[in-house]
Amino acid sequence: MTIQPADFDLTAGLLQWGKAMLSVISIFLGVALVAAVAASGKKGLFIVLDGLTRTVRDFVSISPRRVFAISRLTFKEAVRRKALLVFVVFAVLFMFASWFLTGESHRPGAQMKVYVTFVLTAVSWLVLPVILLLSCWGLPEDIRLRSLHTVVTKPVRRNEVVLGRILGFATVGTLILAVMSVTGFIWVQRQVSDETDLTCRVPVYGELSFLDRLGAPAEKGYNVGDIIETRSFIEGGTNCTAIWKFPITSQPDELRLESRFEAFRTWKGDMEQTLRVQFSLVNGATGLKVPLPNTVNVAEFSTNEIIVNKTLTYKDNNTGKDVTVDVYKDLTADGILQIHVQCLDRNQYVGMSPGDFFIRLADRSFATGYFKAVVGIWLLIMLVVMFSVTASCFVKGPVASLLVFSLILIGQFFHPFMQKILNENPEEKLKGGGTFESVYRLVRHMNETTPLPEGFLTNTIQTVDGALVNCLWLVQHIIPDLSTFKMAPYVASGFDIPWNGSMLPAIVITLGYVIPCLLIGYFSLSLRELEAK
Amino acid sequence: MSNEPEAVIQIRNLSKIYRDFWGRKKVQALKSLSLDIHKGEVFGLLGPNGSGKTTTMKLLLGLLFATEGEIKILGKPASDVSKNERIGYLPEESYLYRFLNAEETLDFYGRLFDIPADERRKRTDDLIKMVDLDHARRRQLKEYSKGMTRRIGLAQALINNPDLVLLDEPTSGLDPLGTRDMKDLIRKLRDEGKTVVMCSHLLADVQDICDRIAILHSGELKVLGSVEELLKKENSTQILTSQLSPEAINDVKAALEKHNVTIESIDHPTSSLEDLFHRTVERSIERPGERFVPSAEPKNEPAEETADAESK
Repeated sequence: MTIQPADFDLTAGLLQWGKAMLSVISIFLGVALVAAVAASGKKGLFIVLDGLTRTVRDFVSISPRRVFAISRLTFKEAVRRKALLVFVVFAVLFMFASWFLTGESHRPGAQMKVYVTFVLTAVSWLVLPVILLLSCWGLPEDIRLRSLHTVVTKPVRRNEVVLGRILGFATVGTLILAVMSVTGFIWVQRQVSDETDLTCRVPVYGELSFLDRLGAPAEKGYNVGDIIETRSFIEGGTNCTAIWKFPITSQPDELRLESRFEAFRTWKGDMEQTLRVQFSLVNGATGLKVPLPNTVNVAEFSTNEIIVNKTLTYKDNNTGKDVTVDVYKDLTADGILQIHVQCLDRNQYVGMSPGDFFIRLADRSFATGYFKAVVGIWLLIMLVVMFSVTASCFVKGPVASLLVFSLILIGQFFHPFMQKILNENPEEKLKGGGTFESVYRLVRHMNETTPLPEGFLTNTIQTVDGALVNCLWLVQHIIPDLSTFKMAPYVASGFDIPWNGSMLPAIVITLGYVIPCLLIGYFSLSLRELEAK
Repeated sequence: MSNEPEAVIQIRNLSKIYRDFWGRKKVQALKSLSLDIHKGEVFGLLGPNGSGKTTTMKLLLGLLFATEGEIKILGKPASDVSKNERIGYLPEESYLYRFLNAEETLDFYGRLFDIPADERRKRTDDLIKMVDLDHARRRQLKEYSKGMTRRIGLAQALINNPDLVLLDEPTSGLDPLGTRDMKDLIRKLRDEGKTVVMCSHLLADVQDICDRIAILHSGELKVLGSVEELLKKENSTQILTSQLSPEAINDVKAALEKHNVTIESIDHPTSSLEDLFHRTVERSIERPGERFVPSAEPKNEPAEETADAESK
């Protein structure tokens, strides 16, 4: 298992959000002011001020009763438009799913992975399109049929319409998701033959560093051409060592260590014997090193589990006597426990990436992990509802649907690609320039490292490419990275969903879009003539 | 102290130009319209199609933005949402939510006015009875006839007990009975001190109930004033008496000729078709089964007997 999310920096995130909001509002105000003064002279200033005052007043005097009325109407509308028919599709899927999924049942862990992945994927793929279409078409249909006229001619503010619509569709989505996820949970429990397979492990990950074969510190181990770029290998029978530094957050009587390493053989060796690995606990401050009594055989494609007691006894090489140490008192320095891993088989290699080895805390119930993943889907639904309602405030249903679908597509799959293009690190930066430079190189049969001839054409190409890159940067910063919301892989692999690495960023991202969506929706509805011919 | 009646709506130099996507002028729907509508009157906006009356109504409601000019409704600008608390609006067509039933519709609009639950329930009940939809209160609006939809539309316009009621073609789609009820209701609203602004093509209805009218054409105000004043023929005199004998008519003629009066016509006055219709329906309700038998048709049996036979 190589799931090890980076911790989310909440303060930096909030600061970034604040800066972005301020910039956008300033630009918007500036443009409005210039346009108003250009159109109406000095009076334009008062028009903008009046608009600002009205905006503040509209947001201060939001009526919960009116918002509730609109959300209730939205809910009824969705129900009476037969949105709940999606349950029929869901039921049919589940009635026949086991026909296609039982093939994996010979491997219990894989069985759970398949079932959980299927349930959570089916739930998101059924709920998201329904909610997207409902919320993209609701408001434009209201405007087309002029039903909205009977609402906005009451003391209803435009932001109440937007908020009411968002809450209404959110309720529909929540209801559908709740029914489907509970049904799915019961289904998974009934399908998985052994309930002990339904685990929810809580890992504590550490920092990984290496010593080379001479024992000198190294940033990485050896590269044997493994497909996973983050995986490094240590050479057996040498001083080559992988060093993990784990933060000790609790002190259980038994420390459970779980690892899953890869083996790379340079010679066949003993066919009956897998590669042997030695674990040692080390105090980083005193240098005290206590090897664990038994070596571990690295079994590929399966998990190695080691239980370390709170007190350990080892033979001191200097005195030849048995010494008893406390893992937390004697081997932990500044809250950090170091674990060194060495391969014992000469000329064989053992590979590892940072997430391949962790301390396993007390397990949580499977339900906890499962429903946390459901919360992830729910947050995504909320985001889709907000985007859809906002888009439907300024474009018609089909365009809004296409727009939100594109946003989801980009958010889900294109962030790593954009990151790659925008990477400023000279070592990792893509060679060959931007779009136009690449085309130019292709046409002129120039390879990606050949310098371009100096001159007007090159300057123009690079300027245009620079502008495109800035646009891409904007897209990258406006469209959220939706892979954060994908929590099913954790649960399917038997892990708990980390709060700081996954839940918190998903919640913060969703909340971060509430105010921008409300503002865009409010201004879109306020600045357009609903009756315009 | 001025004797000017209080103006509920003040329109000054109001113009509206519809533009296309590129901002080019498509049509000027309204040209420098200025008028006041007073408290407690029934005001009619008249004009042929495209004259600007519906545009005026939509500008009043804030559904359109004025290109130039100023509107004050109940002392507030048209863009101020809070003015809607005292306004009731009946749109021209059925724009209500068709998947709701009558009760849900009124409850929904009541909630938009922040009316407390008890009060909302009571008003919903009263209004459903008032517009005679008690029998269909649980049916979805998509199952309603046009007349029923107009009536529930009117009920929603009155849910907030408004001071100003804007009615767009209030009698369109209604049968003569419904039309009479609507007109009675408009008169009742006036009697309660409310201001009613309506636009309509049905001139007879407007003449019946409006105190003042404005006639628009090509976006310009052509006529403004009280119906009575505008329709009065200053150069003619009409004397209405009980039926006169031919001798009496001759005496009257002779008397008038002494004063050099030109008599244009002496005839029996006619009632309106609407009156005849209402009388017929009322009589039919009072005497079910009675029917008119044209004189050319052979009279095989008396009408009363036919009615008896049908009722059996």
